[in-house]
This record gives sequence, structure tokens and C-alpha cells, in this order.
Amino acid sequence: MTQSQDNYRIALLSAYALALHAFESLIPMPIPWLRVGLANIIAITTFILFGFRSAMMVTLIRVVLASLFSGSFLGPGFILSMGGGVSSILAMGLVLSLTPGLFGPVGLSLIGALSHNLSQLFLAYILFIQKVEPVLIIAPFLILIGTITGTVNGLVADLLIKNLKNSQETIQDTVR
Amino acid sequence: MSLRQTISATTPGDRLLLIFLLLVSCAGIVFIKDVLPSSGGVIIEVEGKTTHRYLLEQDRTVRVESPYGHLTVEIRGKKVRVINASCQNKLCEHQGWVGHGVIICLPARISVTVGVPDKSGDKRIDAITG
Repeated sequence: MTQSQDNYRIALLSAYALALHAFESLIPMPIPWLRVGLANIIAITTFILFGFRSAMMVTLIRVVLASLFSGSFLGPGFILSMGGGVSSILAMGLVLSLTPGLFGPVGLSLIGALSHNLSQLFLAYILFIQKVEPVLIIAPFLILIGTITGTVNGLVADLLIKNLKNSQETIQDTVR
Repeated sequence: MSLRQTISATTPGDRLLLIFLLLVSCAGIVFIKDVLPSSGGVIIEVEGKTTHRYLLEQDRTVRVESPYGHLTVEIRGKKVRVINASCQNKLCEHQGWVGHGVIICLPARISVTVGVPDKSGDKRIDAITG
């Protein structure tokens, strides 16, 4: 795999992630900061198919570009997005290197969702709220929602990965 | 590759982690409020000056006097109500039990604020998007 093919793939995956990110903001949600995290499907898929570095690149590009497009660059939402995205990829990388084979895509997605939520709660506590109680009260709700969406995202990512592997030749053609 | 095949392809680690997280978060939702001390207190003001300060957890009945009248405030079960106001229309009595908010007795110039957040709570953020 050459350098330019690698860059091309990262660009393509980032575009997919960005599109899902934008699409998700069209879905109405009962609570404004609640997100399903559809873009994480791409992050998990990238992580499992192409490794830690590619997944981190795709996530960084997605978060920065999405915030630039929506005008929230360097705002509170951006900081939370960035912290959550980076930490979830870090956690998935750590868990996969420590216990290879224990978790499949669904388990890794759950690890990612959990660390995403925990780091966002931590950032929100440090930067914005500075009170322990509201953070502790909201934490189990966030973790429950994250667990559900994490499972769904993991299953979808697994489906995507297996179907991509089945049509490996087609990908090779697209990447070239 | 169907969804059913994907579900059956999950590892035991995946399933254990899922069950563990579901249990922990549900238990957290149920029990976190018992673990934490409650949110605020009750502040009673007469003509804009704080005269009484109580915790919402401690049940008690207080008689509040002002130069224009008096009323009796009852705190019970983390809620507050006014009983026995000195005025005629007794609006504050009809307001009933209040868990969060303000009861104001205009004739007697007494206000009862329920569920007062402490000072650092004033900079709470309503919502964050992104």
C-alpha cells in the first residue's frame, strides 16, 4: 500500500464520516446534546480494517471539518467532540493491543462509546460545570444511552466490515 | 452477511461487556440519587432580607413573622408548603406543595425560595450542541 493510496483512503473515509455526521444533525433528538454517533461507525470500521493511525486521522479530520462547517470550531461543542472522539479511538487501540481477540467490533464499539462518554463528562466537569453532583447524576443516563447506541453502531460496523471483506476486489478497484 | 449472523458472531467478551455496562448504568440511574446529598435548601426572606435558612431534607414547621403579617411554612418530604397565612386570599396556601420554585406572600412581604442552588450553580449551562 503506497502513501498516496493511504491518504486517498483516509480522505474517502473522512468524507463518509463527515457525511454521516452531517446527516445525523438532521435527525431531531429529544435532548439537544444527545447524539447517536453515526460517524463512529466509520471510525470503528476504519480502526478494524486499517488500524489505529488511520482511525485517529479520520476522527480528527471529521471533528475539525464538521465544526468548521457548523461554525462551532474551538467552541464548547468542539472541545467535547474532539475529546470524546480522540479518547474513544485511544481506548479502542489500548484495549485491542492489551487483550487481542477478547472483543469483536461490538465490544470495541462499546469500549469506544464508554470512553467517549466518560471523557466528555470529565471535560464538561473540568471546563464548564465544576460541580460533581450534576455530572454524577447524568453519568449513568449517558452511559446507558451510549451502551445502546454503541451496540447498534458496533453491529452496523461489523456488517460493513464483513461485507467489505467479501467484496475486497471492489475496494481495491475503488482505492486505485 | 445478515444482521442475525453478525449478532451471532459477537464474542463472549462483547456480550459480557454489554451486560455489564447495562447493569452498571441501570443501577446507577436507580441508586445515584440516594447516594448523593440533595440539591438545595429553603430560604425564607422578609422584605428582601434573608431571615431563615433550612435544609430541604429536614422536616420542620416554622412560623415567619413580618411587620405586615405572618405565615407558617411546613417543610416535609423535600417539599415546602405554606399553611395558615395571615392574609385573606391565601394564594400561597393554595399553591400547595412546592419542590422547586418560589412561594411569595405579597401582603406579608415574605418569600420562600425552595431548592436554592449554591453559588457555583449559577453558571450552569443550558445546552451544548456539536
